[in-house]
Amino acid sequence: MMSLRDKFLPRHKKGFILCHWLNGISFLMLFLTALPLYAPEQFGFIYNALGSATLQNMHRFFAVIFIVTPIIGLFIARDGYATLFGQVLSFNKDDMTFLVKFPGELLGRDPKMPKQGFYNGGEKMNIALQMGLWCVLVLSGIVLWLGNGVIDNSIRAWMIPLHSIAAGVGFAAALGHIYLAVGVNPDSLQGMKDGTINADYAKHHHGAWVDELIAEGKIDKKNLMA
Amino acid sequence: MAKEMAMLHDVARCSACRACMVACKQWHNLPADFSTPFEGQYQSHADLTSKTINLIKMNERVDEKGKFHWDFIKFQCMHCQDPGCLKGCPENAISRLDSGAVVIDEEKCVGCGYCTINCPFNVPRVDPDRNKSTKCDLCFDRIEKGMVPACAKTCTAQAIDFGTIEEMRELARSRLIYVKDQFPNANLYGVEPNGVGGTHMMYILPDKPEVYGLPVDPKTPASINLWKDVIRPIGKIAGVGAAAGIAGLFVLSKIMGKKSN
Repeated sequence: MMSLRDKFLPRHKKGFILCHWLNGISFLMLFLTALPLYAPEQFGFIYNALGSATLQNMHRFFAVIFIVTPIIGLFIARDGYATLFGQVLSFNKDDMTFLVKFPGELLGRDPKMPKQGFYNGGEKMNIALQMGLWCVLVLSGIVLWLGNGVIDNSIRAWMIPLHSIAAGVGFAAALGHIYLAVGVNPDSLQGMKDGTINADYAKHHHGAWVDELIAEGKIDKKNLMA
Repeated sequence: MAKEMAMLHDVARCSACRACMVACKQWHNLPADFSTPFEGQYQSHADLTSKTINLIKMNERVDEKGKFHWDFIKFQCMHCQDPGCLKGCPENAISRLDSGAVVIDEEKCVGCGYCTINCPFNVPRVDPDRNKSTKCDLCFDRIEKGMVPACAKTCTAQAIDFGTIEEMRELARSRLIYVKDQFPNANLYGVEPNGVGGTHMMYILPDKPEVYGLPVDPKTPASINLWKDVIRPIGKIAGVGAAAGIAGLFVLSKIMGKKSN
């Protein structure tokens, strides 16, 4: 008899997986290429090694990728992005309970969690945050990059602290996101590679979603439990 | 030379001959700049560039009474007392010398353009070939040798004066009285301390500053203080904190996890 640990449920489609990689890599590269400007004493050596113009052009290159990823997503990952928006808008009481109990789970305890949907309360929070930060980073970035002569410097000057704050908060969220994936729930990494997720993991962490799949007849409960 | 100096452009005297532009290029060894195609306009270059750091702007204007005006102004770095570019530079490549000249150290400059963004007059231009920021340096090297800047030296109409800041203030105030006879709207610009602390480039303007494309109330941006004094240090502490926090959390979860098992 196969155990749940040997079964995998389809979770993400190919297009969405690609968009997640594009977004993740471009964000980290944008952060890295800007770091010597933000902290010259600590990271100035990157400018010295590769040349400031190289780093600045790389920042523009990855900015374009960062900006077009969700636009490409509208064509190749419409379902995935629709789920992101739908899930954020469906934030409910169970998600609140999850957030309250989550620190306990993070510290290695096993609190009684309400069943979570496709995304849990924390993921929904991260999605909403990243959406907002994307808007701030892209708008302030475009004003800094292309705004000369179009927008007055008294406004453009404010884009520098705004861009830095958004990048800092985004990076903090990314650290948490990566820590939770790699360090706490390595099973979730499978979804980044082939889009499937371990059935046992799904049942424990996204119970409501598995219930939905069963109710919709997309997976067979008997088969799942067999 | 430790005396604080200033330059005064008496716009009423200027004939827009552009000799100052040529002298500037000669002294700074700047090449000809074909960035603006000739389409019949009088102004040689549409805007300052990294090759043209001193520009005579020439604007044709018809006022509300239907009278035609030809507005000239010599436009370059204003050499602020409290320079936004200096504050905005993440590399500390910009300094204000005792003479009042605000200069860029190209060795330190990384071409990020934060000086341009933080300049209330939008003056510095990053040279795309060298990736270094450029602007008028008030011929600080000439000043140190007791000479006057190249543009002031060459001005045939004596529209550009150069001397100690007190002398220039005095001269500006005394000349304004005469200019007002002909131009009732005439005013001094940058002579008295303003939102950028006053400037070492001063003007006698026959008309309101906005006529010449100058900001009425230039201000050193407050946003850059927020970035430099608050966001940067906090971000650095937070970065170290986050790394330590994640490491700590990882260890803690292993210990607690073992206990609950």
